[in-house]
Amino acid sequence: LPSCLRPSPPSRDIVTGVPAELSSAQDLLLLIISIGAGLIGALGGVGGGLIIVPVLTLWFGVDVRLAAGASIVSVIATSSGAAVAYLREGWANVRVATFLQLATVGGAIVGALVVADVPTDVLLILLGVVLLLSAASQFFKLAEVPGAVSGEGGGGRLRLSGVYNSIRLGRPVEYAAQRVASGFTLMVVAGLMSGLLGIGSGALKVVAMDTLMRLPLKVSSATSNFMIGVTAAASAGIYIARGYVDVELAAPVVLGVLAGALVGARLLPRLTNRQVRLLFIPVLLVIAAETLLRGLGFGL
Amino acid sequence: VSETRLERGLALVLVVGVIASAALVGIGFVSSFFVGWTGGWPDQSPTDFSGLAERLFALQPLAIAQAGLLLLVATPIFRVAVSVVGFASERDALYVALSAIVLVLLVLSLGLLR
Repeated sequence: LPSCLRPSPPSRDIVTGVPAELSSAQDLLLLIISIGAGLIGALGGVGGGLIIVPVLTLWFGVDVRLAAGASIVSVIATSSGAAVAYLREGWANVRVATFLQLATVGGAIVGALVVADVPTDVLLILLGVVLLLSAASQFFKLAEVPGAVSGEGGGGRLRLSGVYNSIRLGRPVEYAAQRVASGFTLMVVAGLMSGLLGIGSGALKVVAMDTLMRLPLKVSSATSNFMIGVTAAASAGIYIARGYVDVELAAPVVLGVLAGALVGARLLPRLTNRQVRLLFIPVLLVIAAETLLRGLGFGL
Repeated sequence: VSETRLERGLALVLVVGVIASAALVGIGFVSSFFVGWTGGWPDQSPTDFSGLAERLFALQPLAIAQAGLLLLVATPIFRVAVSVVGFASERDALYVALSAIVLVLLVLSLGLLR
């Protein structure tokens, strides 16, 4: 983004937990930027959080924890909205979500409890790494080959299996989860990142279900969305109690990201996967680079 | 078949929760442009959720938006509560237990650090 659009020079000495003071003009600018973040997030299949946290931190000079606090509540709004659409399609697996939520909620609570004690540099580097991973996972989807879905597995008594209607194949497809322990472990990490950074960790959740547990991509995305709101609610409660949810930031972010995500969902069917990724990957890479540089101590 | 009913119930909880909370946050945000965020509480910090009921009765924009945010956080928690009931009606003891543990963790995360 050109520097003229930046509302204020990023402050170098960020103070923890001090509410941001925004003018009405900055409030409106934040609303517009949040609409953009929600739009791009919905197109790329990540929540707006992954974009709004670095934008607030790098461009508005907001403490990364307050940025995370504003983001985490917007994550609940967008993921719940998307989850409704997926539930109606019958793609989300409620049993898989319920089981894996134990991992993400546990991780999120630990992350939100320790976030005050983690240095800002470390948080920014973690955020940069998650941004890079999300860009990479988008890149590899350019050649999207559905994984083989095995009938075996399913986690024994947990019955992590189901049937979904494949649009591409035009028939119902049975699936059963593989490598349940590895998937559960990666979900703990996803929850931890959500609690530390105020993001939905959708990309990590989809990797856990799609790549590790070999669930169909549609089922993974839908179930991930279904779980994100619950994971975020665990972090958000602690963020509110700790004074990291500043309404002056959170209100425009929630409204903007939600509106942007609604527009993005309408726009998505008109764009090809390739167009979406060519738009989305450069944005993620630029933000990732800026976040990593800041985390490593290079002021931009 | 019963799972479809559960899913419909879950979807309804999510829709109502998100629309109502977005409306409250929107009302608070818009009215803040006309009367300011804090109203009769000039020293009120925008990160402080305490005394919400009193400020809500005074129609403070900050309190209206904060109520919306709390409702938003509560929505997934209601959602988990609905799935506890749903699994119970299917007599699925294992998943009643698993979703109940998630529900307890969520309630703890809301109340633990007051």
